[in-house]
Amino acid sequence: MTIFQRIKNVLFGILVLAAGVVFLLDPSDEAYMIIIAFLTLGLAIRGISDIFFYFTMARHMVGGKVILYKGVVILDFAFLTGTLSNVPKIYILLYLIAIHAFAGAIDVLRAMEARSKVEGPWKLKCFQGVGNILLAVACLVFIRYTNTALIIYSIGLIYSAILRIIDAFRPTAFIVIR
Amino acid sequence: MQLDFHYYATYCAAFLAGYSHEESLEIAYSAQFVDECSRTLLAKLKAPSHAATTQMQLELMDARTDPVGLQDITRIWAAFHFLPRDLHAEKKKCGKRYLDKYRLICGPNGELVKKTVEFAKGRPRQSVGIAMHVLADTWAHANFAGTPSLVINNTNNVFFELFPEGDGFIEKQITFVHKRSVPDDLENSVYTNSLYQSNENSIMNLGHGRAGHLPDYSFVRYKYLPAWGDYGELTKDNPSDYFKAFSQMVYAMKFIRGVEDEFVCNTYDTESVSPHEDRIREIIEKRQLISDDDWKAFGEELSGKTVEEFHLEKYFDEYMETEKKDKSSTFLGKFIRGAIAHKGMVIDEIYRSGNKAAGAAKEKRGLRFRLKKG
Repeated sequence: MTIFQRIKNVLFGILVLAAGVVFLLDPSDEAYMIIIAFLTLGLAIRGISDIFFYFTMARHMVGGKVILYKGVVILDFAFLTGTLSNVPKIYILLYLIAIHAFAGAIDVLRAMEARSKVEGPWKLKCFQGVGNILLAVACLVFIRYTNTALIIYSIGLIYSAILRIIDAFRPTAFIVIR
Repeated sequence: MQLDFHYYATYCAAFLAGYSHEESLEIAYSAQFVDECSRTLLAKLKAPSHAATTQMQLELMDARTDPVGLQDITRIWAAFHFLPRDLHAEKKKCGKRYLDKYRLICGPNGELVKKTVEFAKGRPRQSVGIAMHVLADTWAHANFAGTPSLVINNTNNVFFELFPEGDGFIEKQITFVHKRSVPDDLENSVYTNSLYQSNENSIMNLGHGRAGHLPDYSFVRYKYLPAWGDYGELTKDNPSDYFKAFSQMVYAMKFIRGVEDEFVCNTYDTESVSPHEDRIREIIEKRQLISDDDWKAFGEELSGKTVEEFHLEKYFDEYMETEKKDKSSTFLGKFIRGAIAHKGMVIDEIYRSGNKAAGAAKEKRGLRFRLKKG
């Protein structure tokens, strides 16, 4: 990772962390609209990056035009999302449930594999998996409360921001000992 | 390649190259251990995690695909399973971002294979086993890259199995499914592969995942459209490639033992192998998912001794029970040092070619895992 990438990761991490804390402390409708704006922005970036990916890489690939079509459709979808003023919060919750349940299942499976195949360390992975599944369950239990999506989303933002900042300080060089 | 070739066939090749029965078993164990030495296993052994030579299925699913994560994946897979054929390969009208991945495409008889074999000379037999694993995989895994890449490793439905008939071959459409729990159906040419993922860096696009286990079967011949191949059909003749891999292993080990003066690419041992050619081709061409028993029987015919089955934990107790300061002189300690050294050599070569896909290698002197010649 270059120094520029490290600085970028730290700054972005701090920004996301701050946003997560603000949303958590003040889960208002305005904050909810900001999250929708984030989603719109995310989709737009995804669409543009797919189009960019096509022109730099995928055009050399057999069947690469699919990537171009996908990019255009996602970008279009981003514009559509941006025009919606009131997306039902339940969709956000369903999204969170799916993400956390899947991540949790993977962690638990990985822990079980580590335990059964080579008797390796598994407790931490299992703990992470259970944590993710509990978050998914929390989304399900509190699905009727209007601010649940915002609170869970904020926790997710804080978690990913912390990981991003830690990541910026990870060593990147492989040490060769001759 | 699977245990049948990396363990049993490597034993046979080592014996034909002049190693004793015991030495051949050590080389074969080391060659197969490359497919077992994951970070999870190393953690269990309390060994350095950067010596990992493979990643378990769920380790991969858990692996991050940011720049650091990708470099980590590439270090392991490009160094040990998909050794790049030509780090300076050119393709017209392509940017550097694309070329950095294109240049990681694996293949036999490249400059890095030569360096790998020469690197193993004068080192412990564990390093010889590592080198033989890498060499053999350059044949099996040819045309795929040891880094997640849709634009290099993807395949589509233009995929046919070739069956010899008369002077030519008949083609049969291959069907791919994504059920790991179901074994490949050889009779109907139904094989398991990884899911299509449009994300360039998805772990599903690592190596030959999109072609399933076809590259790992010695008997199979197939043709397909490689993602990087500009719509040109590519025919892969595994029986021919596996025979060359075997013959080249014998030649390489003769070089390592000092019987041959130099290791020249595109050179194969014919002297030791030709008396057994029919037998070897028979094993290679037999349509079966695993050919352990046939290679084992051949090995036992060669040496006249029992070739024990691969026991993963054979050397674990020795490593675990040895004091920390002496671990590097144990069997697994030597394997770990050899793996770190080989990985570093490959990373360094990739980096020197101007490609940062595997990151950089730093030399650090005076540490416990310092590598010694001889």
